[in-house]
Amino acid sequence: MRRFPIAALAAAFVFVLAWQVSVRQAALFAIGIGMGAALAGARFGFTTGWRNLVVARDPRGVVGQAILLGLAALGSMPLLAQFPELKAALGPPSVSLIVGAFLFGLTMQIADGCGSGTLYKAGMGVPLNMGILPLFALGSFLGSVHLDRWLALGAIEPVSFVDHFGAAGAIAATLAGLAVAVALAFAWTGFKGPASWFDRRWLWGAVALAALAVLNLVVAGQPWGVVYGFGLWAAKLATATGSFDPTSNVFWSQPGNAEILRQSVLLDVTSITNIGILAGALWVAAGTAAPGRPLTAMQWLIGLAAGFVMGYSSRLAFGCNVGAMVSGISTGSLHGWLWVPMAFAGTLIGVRVRRRFGFDAP
Amino acid sequence: MKRAFYLKWAFWGALALFLAWDHARAPRIDLRFEPPLIAAGSGQTPTAGHCALPK
Repeated sequence: MRRFPIAALAAAFVFVLAWQVSVRQAALFAIGIGMGAALAGARFGFTTGWRNLVVARDPRGVVGQAILLGLAALGSMPLLAQFPELKAALGPPSVSLIVGAFLFGLTMQIADGCGSGTLYKAGMGVPLNMGILPLFALGSFLGSVHLDRWLALGAIEPVSFVDHFGAAGAIAATLAGLAVAVALAFAWTGFKGPASWFDRRWLWGAVALAALAVLNLVVAGQPWGVVYGFGLWAAKLATATGSFDPTSNVFWSQPGNAEILRQSVLLDVTSITNIGILAGALWVAAGTAAPGRPLTAMQWLIGLAAGFVMGYSSRLAFGCNVGAMVSGISTGSLHGWLWVPMAFAGTLIGVRVRRRFGFDAP
Repeated sequence: MKRAFYLKWAFWGALALFLAWDHARAPRIDLRFEPPLIAAGSGQTPTAGHCALPK
């Protein structure tokens, strides 16, 4: 399919949303398209960046991600301090977060895509990621159903750096933390001059995604997220088929979630940006052969299982690379800073599992 | 190659069907309660719908 028909269809959908749903949702769909185009155009893969650091000792992806987090924090934190109706991505530090982030970091390497990575690669037509998406949704739904039991294992109240230190203090703490993270990446790889850690593709991807993440916060009132939308889609199907009663579940009986479950999916912020990301990536990949190579039956099985666990664990971890890491850290949530080392520990194992099953074979 | 082509159409077809089905079964959207274009400064706080929220 060529780019023009895709652009025309996307424009028509923007018009339908503005006419039938709300101008805000139309704007958020357009923001999602931008995110999908930036992710796919720059091949801004959180998973690949971490794997390159671990396996090839190439820090360029991690530096690009640090730039994204720093720029998004510079844009988001003053806004959060200024406008009380804007909400940060505040997840509770908890046993659930520790276990979930570790499992997510492990399985995202096997599935070769985090939340946003699965979305943009599915949009680009990568078969495994298209297959993973429904299982990611199912896992995310089940994770939300069990979330109260995981939280009962131990949790403290969310910690907001903006509330504790103010916008300036939170920005300073965040930038200092990112500088330490980049320094650790350099220590791991060995400093070989600017050419070895700086990449224009990662830079423009980071700038574009940071701008769109801040825009998402301003328009939606909440930070960029991915996982909630997936779980919602599966919850809708489970409820409609009578296999799930949301009134008897702690998470889905909450008034806010119950209302989102009842109303049209087109009114859900996360769902609409997710669809936009798919569309943006489809537009970027138009007219080109689907990336990726044929997988064996065993690799398909392992990849799909990893996708399911990824969905489940992302709910326990209060977000994926986007909801917990990008949005958590850039809006000053402590849980984002706990998520990163746990997910990275999982990645150290995930890259080995990936190699064991031949996903990296040429 | 052909399988990837069919999978791509099946994927987008399933997504379009899901959206149409859900939109048809959900209560009609009342445009009188349309939220303001920009949340910042609107005075309306989102109450749910983000993966970082425990509830």
